[in-house]
Amino acid sequence: MRPKPVGATFALQRLLVLLRSNLTAMLLVLPAANYQPSDYLPILIQFGLALAFVAFAMIVSHLVGPKRNSTVKDASFECGIESVGNARTPISVKYFLTAIVFVLFDVEVIFMYPWAVNFRALGNDGFIAMILFMFFLLAGFAYIIKKGILRWNEA
Amino acid sequence: MTSIILLSIFGILNLFMGFMRSNKVLLPGAMLLLLAVFGANLADWNVVHAPYFNNMLVVDNYTVAFTGIVVLTTIVLLPFSRSYVVAGETNLAEYYALLLFSLVGAVMMIGYNHLIMLFVGIEILSISMYVLAGSSKRDSRSNEAALKYFLMGAFATGILLFGIALLYGATGTFVLSDLAGAVAAPENASLQPMLYIGILMMIIGIGFKVSAAPFHFWTPDVYEGTPTFFTAFMSTVVKTAGFAAFLKLLAVALPGAQGFWLPTIQAMCALTLLLGNVGAAVQTSTKRMLAYSSVSHAGYLLIGLVASRGNLTGDAASGIFFYSLAYSIATIAAFGVLKLVADHRQRDDYAALNGLGKTNPLLAFSMTVAMLSLAGIPLTGGFFGKFFLLAAAAGQGYIGLVVFAVIMSMVGLYYYLRPLIAMYLRPAEEGATPVPVDGIQTATLALLALLSIVLGIVPGFLSGIL
Amino acid sequence: MSPLFLFLSFVALLSALGVVLAKNPVHSVLFLILTFFTLSGHYLLLNAQFLAAVNIIVYAGAIMVLFLFVIMFLNLNEETEPHKPALAKFAAAIAGGSLLLILVAAMRNVNPVGYDPTSFDSQIGMVDRLGLVLFQQYALPFELASILLLAAMVGSVMLGKRETGERNF
Repeated sequence: MRPKPVGATFALQRLLVLLRSNLTAMLLVLPAANYQPSDYLPILIQFGLALAFVAFAMIVSHLVGPKRNSTVKDASFECGIESVGNARTPISVKYFLTAIVFVLFDVEVIFMYPWAVNFRALGNDGFIAMILFMFFLLAGFAYIIKKGILRWNEA
Repeated sequence: MTSIILLSIFGILNLFMGFMRSNKVLLPGAMLLLLAVFGANLADWNVVHAPYFNNMLVVDNYTVAFTGIVVLTTIVLLPFSRSYVVAGETNLAEYYALLLFSLVGAVMMIGYNHLIMLFVGIEILSISMYVLAGSSKRDSRSNEAALKYFLMGAFATGILLFGIALLYGATGTFVLSDLAGAVAAPENASLQPMLYIGILMMIIGIGFKVSAAPFHFWTPDVYEGTPTFFTAFMSTVVKTAGFAAFLKLLAVALPGAQGFWLPTIQAMCALTLLLGNVGAAVQTSTKRMLAYSSVSHAGYLLIGLVASRGNLTGDAASGIFFYSLAYSIATIAAFGVLKLVADHRQRDDYAALNGLGKTNPLLAFSMTVAMLSLAGIPLTGGFFGKFFLLAAAAGQGYIGLVVFAVIMSMVGLYYYLRPLIAMYLRPAEEGATPVPVDGIQTATLALLALLSIVLGIVPGFLSGIL
Repeated sequence: MSPLFLFLSFVALLSALGVVLAKNPVHSVLFLILTFFTLSGHYLLLNAQFLAAVNIIVYAGAIMVLFLFVIMFLNLNEETEPHKPALAKFAAAIAGGSLLLILVAAMRNVNPVGYDPTSFDSQIGMVDRLGLVLFQQYALPFELASILLLAAMVGSVMLGKRETGERNF
């Protein structure tokens, strides 16, 4: 004869069953057919929490931590190079070239999101459209590589 | 459509041809590819195509005709890049590829039937032009030209985009033919002011691209700083495509708002003629004079827009086509000669042309024909270009504008004759050597002069085709 | 007009003013980022979530980095800041003021027809709807946008690449 579950064990089992059914419900649930701007409330709360945590951590570390001030300790880094000064020194154009190429491919990838979401619905036409688009941009990528833009230490 | 596809693929092809060891094949390669595009484009003449891709692009005789001009212009321009080949310019393949890509933009601007296509086309054309304006990296004037053109051009594009957005807000459509209905019979009469501001902003945006006054201030500085080879492209292809787009916008989409834009265009037209011609008359540099002259020619083309009164066919549209063709041919010849002379003599004022009639009779003759055509002297294409446009305007009753344009072309005569005086009446400097011209350039210049004269003697075969 | 809309508009206008008025170019860029975030907020209010995300990723993320690069290139120290002539400021104020005047005067009486709650489709800005429109109706401009990106790529490489024999870095 099976012993009847009692007390804490029973409560735990009930909780697990409850959780499991809710979890499956949460995971299997289809995306709500009707998004509204108010659905972003959780994200807003998350933003608030993230900000609050940063503020909290900074305040607490200031309150709790020991205070020993000196010019060297307050420097942002200490390696023998002057750490305070004018940040506006000319930089190599290569950084900029890399950044601009990044932006171009960033835009390219952005176009792939709405395509991926509709991959089935768009069918062959959508696939060919994206292949063509990619062909032109990857030709550009091949050109960039062949030109040696991404090689750092030469030319 | 075929020309867009071919130009895109050929652009990439050209780009990768740059990795070959020798750059000798690049110039003939690019010319052959463009000839193929020209042929493929002409094959669409009188062929009826349904609008492509949900009304995005229309290929009709209008598109074929103006595409023909821009492709032909680029073909006859290419030989003047010989000096880059000779100097072993490392970026030659990029130059040609960008020219082909910008032609894609030009064809989009000519054939668009949807304002998004117009916008993307203008962007492709402008981005390539910003880069090419600054292609002479070691020359601070070229850098200045690129920066000025880019900053002002980006601003003008923003205004154009704002105009498109307002137009969409007022009518709810981007498609030209639907716009015509929504403009003529608005569903919501209170949106009318929004529509008008949208139209005005689009006129400003396109007016900037074709350098019509009062949006022409960038033109002299940018044209002067840009390497001459690309200045020639800018003042022909960009202007032709811009006017094709302008005419299409006004004639197809906005005939219903004619009472609003017609006075605006008329005022712009008169102002452009005045500022362009008077500005050109006071220049001392041949290149700056040609820049102001391109402003003044925008003024003559605006007369065509006024006279078109919302018609994509007929006298005014044919006039704009003929004028664009004659203007492009003459301008390429003028800039071509100027580039050859300036490369050799290291200066580009009027005095640089001194004595060219003695040292290089062919260059001088070619320049003469170009100048006479630009001035609108009979027996050259430019005469009939002006004649058709002014006749169309007079036929619509714009006598005042026509008289003003005739007076302004008298002013034009003054500054177009100055290079001729320099070439034939002033002696060359001591020890001036003939400007070296190679075979293909000679042939091109002869062809251009011949075309100008043929258009001026038997204009009939191209005059009424639209 | 919801209070959220009013708040976002207020912050957007204020930070846009900050972009123009800030003396330090880096502050301008930071204000611009704030402007982009408020614009994303507006997109969310319009239920266009994809645009909101793209606006953050591309504009506030990538393009802003380019802005910072440009500021570092330009070497904008306060001593070297050119002094703008008073006439230019005056002309700019007149021109901007007349544009504002015309826009306000023209748009004052515009009365867009309000949306009909029964037939309004709130899901029109969702990414799946946008994808269907982009890849079916707008397939041609989409393809040609690749030419635009390619031209920009070639152009930036052409202008930015160091030629053999150039000494600067």
